Amino acid sequence: MNCKKVQRLLPLMAGSDIPQSKILSLKAHLEKCPECRQEYDSYILSLEKTKEWLAKDGKDWEESDWQRVLQRAMKDKKPKVSSLGLWPFKKVWAYSLTGMLAVSLTLLFIIRPSIIQKKMGLGSEKFTEEQSQLFRSSPEESKQEVISMTIVSKETGLKIVWFLNKNFELEVKE
Amino acid sequence: MKSEDELVDEVLKGNHRSFELLLQPYRQGLLNMAYRMTGNLEEAKEVCQEALIKVYRYLDKFKKGRSFKSWIYKITVNSAYDSLRKKRRFEDLVESQKKVSLSSGQDPEKQLLNTEIKAKIETCLKGLSPKEKATFLLRDGEGFSIEEASEILKCSSMSVRTHLSRARKKIREQFEKINFADTKEVRR
Repeated sequence: MNCKKVQRLLPLMAGSDIPQSKILSLKAHLEKCPECRQEYDSYILSLEKTKEWLAKDGKDWEESDWQRVLQRAMKDKKPKVSSLGLWPFKKVWAYSLTGMLAVSLTLLFIIRPSIIQKKMGLGSEKFTEEQSQLFRSSPEESKQEVISMTIVSKETGLKIVWFLNKNFELEVKE
Repeated sequence: MKSEDELVDEVLKGNHRSFELLLQPYRQGLLNMAYRMTGNLEEAKEVCQEALIKVYRYLDKFKKGRSFKSWIYKITVNSAYDSLRKKRRFEDLVESQKKVSLSSGQDPEKQLLNTEIKAKIETCLKGLSPKEKATFLLRDGEGFSIEEASEILKCSSMSVRTHLSRARKKIREQFEKINFADTKEVRR
């Protein structure tokens, strides 16, 4: 073991928190390395002193304070709906709700789209053909050739129909 | 003498005296743990109060056969964390501990010694993070094993070792500063 590794383990060794298997090699290193030994001793001293100070400065309850704290703790009502009673049901509810949610989502995202497609005839050969025709037709092809205009007289009921071509020229219908 | 599990059963049946008997061995330890964590005795008492309310309320959740001591320390440490979070006292910790209340009935020399020890502990612990402090206090202050501390702090044994190692390293550094200052004082 080198010094770097030993020094990393010294804080734990000072409190006997090192596995037995490592202690032997650590002790062997400390015997031959005065620097690490000195560091180890300072860890031991600081730990012992701090523990001693903590023990000396220990606090205790005044009996009246302690009794008051206990009484207040016991005044607090225990929840009547104890975990023993409803908790298993809560779990059952949670599981069943999660299950239902999962099933609904499955229906919504997997089964539903195929039903909709079938109902609307989407995906059929006819639909595909119509779709492809729609997208194939150019704006030029779909342009309207003839416009008709109808005027009806309220008094006489006379109906006049004009047919105009794409240049707004009057077309004579036979 | 009744076992802790038996006492727990009696408390659950409504025997208040058993609750006191159950907590009696830990009353001082819990107060000290909360006091070191918060740095203020009054706040420590409040932390203990909160912890004991939880202990009583959730006593039916305590798993028999497991360590009652670890369970109540876990609740106390968590209450101390909550208190620290709420009041954001980390920054004020040093200041609050400087305000040492001197009880009138105490011998002045003893008072001075107590104040000195309190200041030394404070210096040693001041650089520690809450987790490091809790780990150090559980292991070196209360004598819990690494495994018990890991159960209380809800972390792995490896993590406890890391926190403990850092805490001891920081404490040693602070201790050397105190030692150096003391030596200087004696030379004068």
